Amino acid sequence: MIEAALQGLSLVLQWNAFSLMLVGMALGFVVGLLPGIGGAATLALMLPFVFKMTPVEAFAFLLGMHSVAATTGDITSILFGVPGEALSAATVVDGHPMAKNGEAARALGAALMSSLVGAVIGAAALAVSIPIVRPLVLTFGSPELFMVTVMGIACITSLSGQGTSAQLKGFAMGLLGLLLANIGQERQSGILRFDFGLIYIWEGLDLIPVLVGIFAIPEIIDLAARGTAIAGNAPATRLGAGVWEGIKDTFRHFWLVVRCSAVGVLVGILPGAGGGVAQWMAYAHAVQSAKDTADRERFGKGDVRGVLGPGAANNSKEGGDLIPTIAFGVPGSGAMAILLGAFLIMGLHPGPDMLTKHLAVTYSMVWTLVIANVITVVACLALLPYLAMVTRIRGSLIIPFLLLLVFVGSYTANRQLADLVVTLGFGAAGYLMMRFGWPRAPLVLGFVLGKLAETYLFISMARYGYAWLAQPLVLVLMALTALIIVLPYLQERRTHAN
Amino acid sequence: MRISGAGLFSAALAAIAAYAVITALHWPSKAALFPLVMGIPLFVLALIQMVIDWRGVSASGDAPGERAALGVLAWMAFFIMLVFLLGFPTAVPLFIFGYLFIAGRESWLLSTALALIAWGAFYLLFQKLLHFPFDAGVLTGGGL
Repeated sequence: MIEAALQGLSLVLQWNAFSLMLVGMALGFVVGLLPGIGGAATLALMLPFVFKMTPVEAFAFLLGMHSVAATTGDITSILFGVPGEALSAATVVDGHPMAKNGEAARALGAALMSSLVGAVIGAAALAVSIPIVRPLVLTFGSPELFMVTVMGIACITSLSGQGTSAQLKGFAMGLLGLLLANIGQERQSGILRFDFGLIYIWEGLDLIPVLVGIFAIPEIIDLAARGTAIAGNAPATRLGAGVWEGIKDTFRHFWLVVRCSAVGVLVGILPGAGGGVAQWMAYAHAVQSAKDTADRERFGKGDVRGVLGPGAANNSKEGGDLIPTIAFGVPGSGAMAILLGAFLIMGLHPGPDMLTKHLAVTYSMVWTLVIANVITVVACLALLPYLAMVTRIRGSLIIPFLLLLVFVGSYTANRQLADLVVTLGFGAAGYLMMRFGWPRAPLVLGFVLGKLAETYLFISMARYGYAWLAQPLVLVLMALTALIIVLPYLQERRTHAN
Repeated sequence: MRISGAGLFSAALAAIAAYAVITALHWPSKAALFPLVMGIPLFVLALIQMVIDWRGVSASGDAPGERAALGVLAWMAFFIMLVFLLGFPTAVPLFIFGYLFIAGRESWLLSTALALIAWGAFYLLFQKLLHFPFDAGVLTGGGL
């Protein structure tokens, strides 16, 4: 095994593979900054270029690109409140307030370093778990996957703020998100739900226009209203020092980063659990890890732990995603489904062969994840002081470019002009939610998980009737869900008692 | 009891939920289950919040004023109109110039320079590097 690992490393470090990885990383860096063209879309666009490559070169190119896109997606989330990747929106919640407080460099340093730690943990999990993960993956059928989505939905309690009114608003927004996920054709009966006679809606609302509208537009309005730079009149900390502070934060809260990385790996391993849930669950876990109510209230206002958790989970998920893809040919996400196409183009068949005959190729993927992330983080750390300076440019200059980023991002996801109108509509809704104190994160979580939850529930009911409710793993997951819901209230009561 | 913006927002939410529930009642059970399970509690929660808002005890958020919001939303609508009429590649420099010159009150020289830079970056990235097929506008060769 060690011999294969070393052989994998030497394969990645060969001139051809290494230079292709650098090309892929450069592409991934650029597209990672754009909402809409995410990691999966870029993989699809670049797939035709791998035909003439060897397997190691192809995976160095594709995985280098994909893992960097996941990392750099956090940069726009923090600097502008515009999620660079559809599934990396949780970083916005605390990352952008940090930028507004003049701590952009610190937030970026924390996001990058936690991403690196997450990527290494994800890669390590990939390296050691392929032979032993089979029972876990095979244990998770539709009932268990339904419960995983319910667990994700239960995280709404942690994303809703303190107090009865805040919890009420959080649950209402979560329900609205779940309801919005119902728009479009119902998969079992073919009934068109809430389509208003528009063909555009048949497929349901796309995540990217909703996400970008809800999060980015209110921030742009805020910037226009303040008439200052993003960092406003916040005292300018020494930018370089801010970066190091962010790096140190990763190690100050190291166990939180490790736990959130584990969340990312686990969600990644489960095929069909949906990559979007990993970051939000990690964020919710970071909130739940707060010592008391006062500590919890810091989240959402620029707490570095709210950046570290999602940053780590975002990248560890990539390693987790690869496990079922390589070991069983069961892709854990859309991006992995496209990567599966690359396997077939290369003449490789995911499954036992990847653990025996092609073990060196498998390990070359592990090393690509690690090396690409190390290079990205080192390159970004050198650039961070300059990137953070963007938050000091006056708002009137930067707003049209942000609007451009938002609209190009929304359009490139599906090439639908109607997506721009949806972005505008959700932007207005996001502004009203912000104005009247309704939390936006639960709505996004509900929207991401709504379709998955409905699909898995129907498969479970069709396959097992109500008997699935009594399956042992379902009961364990139910107990965990109850714990997630109850924990914040228990914490609050303990705080009051003290 | 007084009518407030927050109360109206809660009322709108309750109306959306009510519409969803009433519409779902006409569907077969498979299609109706989820919208009903989500819509009914949403309706109840929104009504409770509406009462709280109208009694004036709810904490509001800290969003910027309506004037800025309407301004940005109007510019967004203008950009969508430009894309519809002229297509993305032409709309991008026009929008950047228009916003910088009119809303940002920047000099025409700076506005032109930044519009050209935006167009160049857009052209290089999407058209030369990624070969992304942007549709033409209705006035520049595209159909409806």
